[in-house]
Order: sequence, then C-alpha cells, then structure tokens
Amino acid sequence: MAIRDDFEVVAGQVRTVVQRFALGLLVIAAFGVMLVGKADTVLVEHARVLALDVVSPVLEGIARPVAYANRAIADLREFASLRDENARLREENARLLAWQTAARRLENENEGLRSLAKFREGPEASFITARLVGDNVSAYVRGALLNVGRRVGVAPGQAVVTGEGLAGRIAEVGENSSRVLFVTDVNSRLPVLVERTRERAILAGDNSPRLRLTLLQSIAGVQNGDRIVTSGHGGSFPVGIPVGEVVETSEGSVRVRPFTDFSRLEFVRVVDYGVTGLVGSGAGTATPSAPPAGVRVR
Amino acid sequence: MRTDSTLAILDRWGRAALPGTVLLFFVLLTLAPLRAPYLSDALPLLPVLVVFQFSLATPERLPGPLLLLMGILLDLLLGGPSAPVGVSALGFILVRAAVISNRRYLVGVPFLFQWIGFCILCWGFVALVWAFTTLWTWAAIDPVPAMLQYVVVIVIYPLLAPLLARVRARDPLNVPELSRGSARPGETTL
Repeated sequence: MAIRDDFEVVAGQVRTVVQRFALGLLVIAAFGVMLVGKADTVLVEHARVLALDVVSPVLEGIARPVAYANRAIADLREFASLRDENARLREENARLLAWQTAARRLENENEGLRSLAKFREGPEASFITARLVGDNVSAYVRGALLNVGRRVGVAPGQAVVTGEGLAGRIAEVGENSSRVLFVTDVNSRLPVLVERTRERAILAGDNSPRLRLTLLQSIAGVQNGDRIVTSGHGGSFPVGIPVGEVVETSEGSVRVRPFTDFSRLEFVRVVDYGVTGLVGSGAGTATPSAPPAGVRVR
Repeated sequence: MRTDSTLAILDRWGRAALPGTVLLFFVLLTLAPLRAPYLSDALPLLPVLVVFQFSLATPERLPGPLLLLMGILLDLLLGGPSAPVGVSALGFILVRAAVISNRRYLVGVPFLFQWIGFCILCWGFVALVWAFTTLWTWAAIDPVPAMLQYVVVIVIYPLLAPLLARVRARDPLNVPELSRGSARPGETTL
C-alpha cells in the first residue's frame, strides 16, 4: 500500500515536471519559429504564400455572403437619401461632361504634339481585375488579400488601383492569391510628385489614415488641396496615378489624405505595367532603385 | 468494455475536434472583410478570446502544440511583411498556461471574475504582441490601435463567452485531471 502511494506520488511529480517542461518546450518552439522567421525571410515568404493559397478559397466562400449582406445594408441606407443623391449626381454629371469635352480636346492636341515631337510612349499597361477576399488589417498592418495570383500574371511590386486612385502594391503572390500592402501601411514608401509644382517626394504610410509626405526639396511650395500623383520613379509604377490630396501643412510635416476609401474596397485593379521584378519579392519596402540595364523605362 | 456505436464514436470525435475547429474558424474570420464598425477592429483578437474560454472549459481538447500551429497560422495570414511570425503562438501558449495554473480563481466563480481574468490576460497578450512587433521591426508603432482592439474585444467578451462556454465536458468530475485543475469535487464549471 505504501509502495503504491509512493509510486503515485512519484508519478504525479513526474507528470507535473513533464507538464512544466512541455510549456517550456512550447515557448522555446515559439521563439525558435520567430528566430527562423527573422533569419530566413525567404522560407517565411514561402510559408505565407502557401498559407494564403490554402486559405483563399475558404475566404472567398466567406467573403461573398458578407459582401452581399454589406451591399444590402448599403442599399437600404442609400434608399433614404435617393433624391438628394440624384440631384447631386446630375450636377456632377453636368460638370464632368464639361471636363470630358476639355479632356477630348486636350487628348487630340496632345497626340498631335507627340507625333510632331516623335515622343515615345512608355510600356502599355494592362489591368487585372480582382476581388478582395480578405482583409489584412490589424494594429500592425494595412493590407488585403486578392483572389488573383501568379497564374493570371500578378507579380510582386505591381500597382493596385481603384476608381478613385492608388490603393497599394502587391507584396506577395501565390498561385491563385496575392496580398496587397496599402499605401497607408507603415512599410509603404512611394515615389510621388506634387501635381501642381511637379516636385518629387516620398509618400510614407504609418498605419494611420493619413499619409506623410517627406523628402521634399522645398516644403514651402506645398498647399492644402494639392493633388499627389505617382511619379513612376523606380519604374514599376505607371506615372500619374492619383494617390491623394494634401490636407495638412504644418511645420515640417505634410499630411496627405488618400483618395481610396479603404473601408469599402470590394474590387480593385492590378496594373501590369510590363516592368516587374524591380521590387524584390522579399523586400518589405519599395524603395526606388535604379532599374537594371535593358529595362524599358519612361 | 463494450464497443461503441458509430454515433458514439462520431460524438467523441466531434467533441474532441470542436475547440480546435472553432479556433481555426476564428483565425480565418480575422481575415474576413466584415465592414462592421468596431467589430472589424476586434477581429484579430477574437482567437485570444476563444483560447481563453476553451482553456477554461476543456484545456485537454486544446493542447499546446495545436495552439502553436494556430498561432503561427494567424501570424502568417495576418502579419505584415516584416512582422514576427510566432508571437501570437507564444501569446496563446502563455494564455493557456496562465489559465490552467489559475483555474482555482477562474473555474466555478461568478462570470464577472472570469471577465476580469480575461481582461488581465488579454492585456498581457496585447502588450506582448505590441512589444515584440516593436522590437522586431525596430520602429515606433502607435499603440493606440492595439489598445482600441483590446477595448472592443473586452466589450465583446460577455456576448461571445457564454456561447463558447457551452462547449465543455459532460460531467465536470468525469474528465481528465488537467481539465479539472485545482477545482475541488463538487465545484462545477459554472
């Protein structure tokens, strides 16, 4: 009897030790994964892409009913303000028609001048339309998952645009899925131009809804309401995609509000500009780099 | 010992797999493009709620290695390009360990105490992830969004926890010792 009691006591102690040890092992394993992730970014990249590819069909299944529900709610809400909305749209339509006339005239004039000057157009851009199947928004990252991947020609570094303007760029690509990094993400660095003054600058995100304009040659020339467009430097982005407008100019910092409404994105277009691979697939930041020889750049 | 019928086997398998499946569902839900204000902010922290609640009810059905895998999956799916992979896994494991070693104060006590327990552990989780991410990327990350997530998930807890608490062992005393923890015979899981 005593022996059995002793045995049970020892067995209990052993079990406790194993349990405690198990916790330590698991903690060590978690740290190990973190260290491996830090040391071997390529491996982590592959793991991310694999997880993305596996999960994206499931997410698409979830995303569709959610999108329908959201649309139904939005419809109901818009129904209430239909009359005002109609009046506003009619007014806007009239204004846009005037602009269209102006744009047609300018386009013709531009074409004529280009042929006179023998100007060579940059590479043709083509578009891939994608559905947002997943949000990638947490306290630390601003992004989304798309349902298109390598199979239809998506590559890291390509621009992602909406009707309003630039949304972000492709960060990771799987077979049938990809991850967008929004311009508001803390890792996002974008070479841009101030449209009015043609000044170059870098537009940086910091996970907040407002973007930061930095590295301006002279900060004084920027005014509230100035439009910011992509400059195309670095080669992987088309020139002149609208990004946002300046909303705040104070001492040493210029804040830009992006045109894209990230809270209601549903469909986006991936711009295949024919020049990819300048931004390394593993790189977290899109720092403008000199294009390799032989690549067509404007 | 009699052989179980197919239904009983299915029942047992279902019970064993349920917590893991629910956790997986919530991990995937963090990516769902819900456009609900406030709720979308809290989505990334809901897996912590699930881990806490199931560690309370049936820790033996949510073993540590599974939490490790789920945490890594969450980090792979949700993390930015430079975010540390495995920090959520570490958080999950520590939350589970903390719940198990403090079952005396969390099992068979009024709901308010469980809520307070969750507030404390979830704060630890948020602080851990924020600290690691900040150190890892060596960038000053604004802690306000993380705190906002935390507040929202704390508010959501009373809505979701009773639902998840329905998943538990049939008889509180007829369960493996790990699940019983420091609860005395006669105490039940609420």
